[in-house]
Amino acid sequence: MLQTVKLLLPALVPSWRFFDVIAPSPRVEFTCLRSATDTPIIWHEFRPRPAQLPIRTLLRRLIWNPGWNDTLFVVSCAERLMDLPTDHSHTQILTRINAEIATKHPNTTHLQFRLVFVSRQGTELRKDITYVSPVHPRPQSPTP
Amino acid sequence: MSFDAALRATEILLALAFLQQSAEHLISRDRMLFAARAALCLMLLTGTQTPWALTGLMALALIMLHRFQGPYNGGSDRMSLLILTCLWLATLLPGQEAKELALGYLALQLLLSYVMSGWVKITNRDWRRGQALRDVFQFSAYPVCENLRRLADRRKLLWTASWAVMLFEILFPVALLSQTALIAALTIATLFHFANACLFGLNRFLWIWLAAYPSILWLQLRVIPV
Repeated sequence: MLQTVKLLLPALVPSWRFFDVIAPSPRVEFTCLRSATDTPIIWHEFRPRPAQLPIRTLLRRLIWNPGWNDTLFVVSCAERLMDLPTDHSHTQILTRINAEIATKHPNTTHLQFRLVFVSRQGTELRKDITYVSPVHPRPQSPTP
Repeated sequence: MSFDAALRATEILLALAFLQQSAEHLISRDRMLFAARAALCLMLLTGTQTPWALTGLMALALIMLHRFQGPYNGGSDRMSLLILTCLWLATLLPGQEAKELALGYLALQLLLSYVMSGWVKITNRDWRRGQALRDVFQFSAYPVCENLRRLADRRKLLWTASWAVMLFEILFPVALLSQTALIAALTIATLFHFANACLFGLNRFLWIWLAAYPSILWLQLRVIPV
C-alpha cells in the first residue's frame, strides 16, 4: 500500500520540472562473450540511433513509436540503476539486450552490459563508465 | 465549454491517447495488460458503463505502476495518471461542487505544467544562455537521429528557441484572460508538443496533453465568464 502511494504521488502532485537541468545522459553498451571468464573486447551501443530519419518516419512515429518509447524506458532504467539500484531496472535492461542479441548475435553464450554517462565539462564532452554488470549466461545457451 | 462537454471531451481524448499507448504495447510481453486497457478505452470512447470503465482503467494503471516500478514513459505517464484520476473523481464523486473541484484540479495542473517548466528553466543560467538546449541536442538521449545533433552548433537559433519556450511557458496564465487568447495559447502549445514529438520522439506527450485541454477551456469560462 505504501509502495503504491509512493508510486502514485508524483503523478497526482507533479513537480513539472521538465529539462530543468541537463543531467549526464546514459548510454547502454553490451559485449558478447564466449564464456563466463572471457575478457570483453568490443562494446556495442544498445539501440544506436539512426544517422537520419525521413520526414514520413517522423510523422508515422506520432502514432506508432513503440521502439523509441521502449528505448526511453531503458534510459529511465539506467538512470534508476544509478539513483536507486534495484533488480527490476537491471532485469529490464538485461531482458532487452538478450532479445536483441538473440537476433543479431545468436552464437553468444554470455553477455555483460555497462552504463556510460555522457556529460559536458566546460566545452568538452566526457564519458564516464558508472556501472558494469556481472557476466550473465544467455538464456538457453548451449551447455559447453 | 460546459462542464459536461468538457468531461465528455476529456473522456474521448483520454481514451484515444490510451488506445495509442496500448497499441504500442501489443507487440510486447505485457500485451494482455494493454489489451485489457484497450478494451476499457473502447467502453470509455463509446460512453458504455463509463464509471466502471474508469474504475477498471484506474486499477490497471496501479498494476502498471508496479509492473514498471514507476512510470513507463516519464512525464506523459504521470499526466495520463493525473487525467485519469481527476476524470474518475469527477465522474464518481457525489455533488456538482466536488466534481468541478476534480476537473478544476486537472486544469490547474495543466497550467502548472507550463508555468513550472518555464520557471525552472528561466531561473537556470544555462537555459538563459541557450546552453541547456545545446546540451539537449549535443549529448542527451532524446534526439531521434544523429543528424539532429548538428543543431547544437546553431547557437543563435537555440538561444532564440530557448527564450521562446521559456517566455511562452511562463506567460501561459496570461492567456486565461480571454477565450481567444487561451485557444491561441493552446494551439501554440500543441505545436510545441508536435515539435517535441518529431525531434525527440515524445509522441505520447502530444496526445495526452491534448486530453487535458478541455478542462482548462471549461475552467476559463467558469472563472472568467464572458
